[in-house]
Amino acid sequence: MNAMIKVARYHLVMPVMFLGLPWATLALVFAVDVAQGGDKAFRAGLAVFFGMFFVTGVQRIGRWLPFGLTLGATRRSFYAGTALLGVSMSLVSGLVIAGLQAIERGTGGWGLSITFFRVPYVLNGPWYATWLTSFVGLAALFVYGMWYGIVNRRWGMLGLLAFIAVQVLVAIAVSFVYSRSGGGALMLRPAGGHPATLSALDLTGVIAALTVVCLAGGQATIRRVTV
Amino acid sequence: MTPAISATGLTRKYYDQVALDDVHLAIGAGTITGLLGRNGAGKTTLLRILGGQEFPSSGSVQVLGAAPAENQDVLRRLVLVREDQTYPDYQGYPNFKVSHALRAASFFYPCWDADLASSLLEDFRLPANKAIKSLSRGQRSSLGITIGLAARAEVTLFDEPYAGLDAVARQIFYDRLLADYADFPRTVLLSTHLIDEAAALFENVVVIDRGRVMLDTAADGLRGMATTVSGPVLAVNSFTGGRPVWERRGLGSQASAVIVGQISPEDRERARSLGLDLTPLSLQQLVVQASGGSAGAGAVTGRASA
Repeated sequence: MNAMIKVARYHLVMPVMFLGLPWATLALVFAVDVAQGGDKAFRAGLAVFFGMFFVTGVQRIGRWLPFGLTLGATRRSFYAGTALLGVSMSLVSGLVIAGLQAIERGTGGWGLSITFFRVPYVLNGPWYATWLTSFVGLAALFVYGMWYGIVNRRWGMLGLLAFIAVQVLVAIAVSFVYSRSGGGALMLRPAGGHPATLSALDLTGVIAALTVVCLAGGQATIRRVTV
Repeated sequence: MTPAISATGLTRKYYDQVALDDVHLAIGAGTITGLLGRNGAGKTTLLRILGGQEFPSSGSVQVLGAAPAENQDVLRRLVLVREDQTYPDYQGYPNFKVSHALRAASFFYPCWDADLASSLLEDFRLPANKAIKSLSRGQRSSLGITIGLAARAEVTLFDEPYAGLDAVARQIFYDRLLADYADFPRTVLLSTHLIDEAAALFENVVVIDRGRVMLDTAADGLRGMATTVSGPVLAVNSFTGGRPVWERRGLGSQASAVIVGQISPEDRERARSLGLDLTPLSLQQLVVQASGGSAGAGAVTGRASA
């Protein structure tokens, strides 16, 4: 059996943790949203679901790697198998979100004018765009979470703080260079309702590129992790 | 013959601490070897490197003819049972159970024996549906042993596998290990502090102290390697004259001395005529000597003086 598949099966040995928890959390948040009721206000409840993918990515390294290596997985196969599973989960979850969004549209916000699965600007287009954007977003957060887990396992809390600091510095540098080059016009302004020149699909492309960076970074970092 | 496990100039440093210092080692295939030494001697570090979980600072290791780190072909034929093994258990729900751990192990080991695993759980009285986070220390050890034996890996590394186990469970481990080893020979490297208890298992013994291999020899060669001579002071002195002695102790007119070397039938006859008792040193006492536990420590490692 392929080593990556073994790792994926290892993660699914307790499927409720991987498959059930994010959806149970989403159901809970949705229930709270419904209970607060039909004022059409968007409360970003879906963000919790996306956040769960980040947390799951962190945990899959922090908690599952040591026993995985004991069972004979290599670091590379563990990383690839875990990422494969996370990306697959994102693909399916994105489709479900697109479906739920279609239902929400078709039922006038679940009959209560609720806007839960329609996120302004980001997830508010046709079903395939919602699928693609949510898939890429979920996969990005999962892989990003994995990278955090790897950094924490390899260098501990100090390493994690340094990792965050480097990202903040990079973000500031990119923002500075971008504004200096006259790119300010491309900044998103969804809250004000102004048309953004960077479309949701453009944003999806940027996130996909960042996902590839995270994948490469995680793969490079895990090579010398010890347990 | 290519050894199943070998190390050449293996060194592992953690900042200014040297965990392993120029270790050279060769362990033959199809043997049970005891890896012995004091706490912090470097046993766990060595096993982790052999299991591909840690990296050497310098030098090299080979398991089944290749470096184990990131080598899928080696790692799927190797199992490392650690005393401090962590499992993916969570606070609260859901619980990672014994059955989850065994099922996961079955995915990875091509020779996994589920029947053996079930029978070991029964012997250890370990319920398969029990959450790992609620296991006692001994029960966690039982789980590790179950995985280690049922994996039937060509190279089986046990790092203090029975911490917290009661005497009955330890005996079960020894019996099951020997029985399964007889049916399915493999290379076993077992680190333990309960030396005399496990001594009968060992075909070879490796003693590590402060990261260095102090002793690497066949267990049979060690048995009878040193003997305690005790009796009247003058008789002990007469008997030990000209022999390498590790240690001398005296109390009034009585004395004892640990001498190195085999005792011949003539020696036994002479000791009897002098009214001396001869007691072979146990493996544990030998390890104490090799690990610097007494003034004559150097003798075991070949630095004895007459």
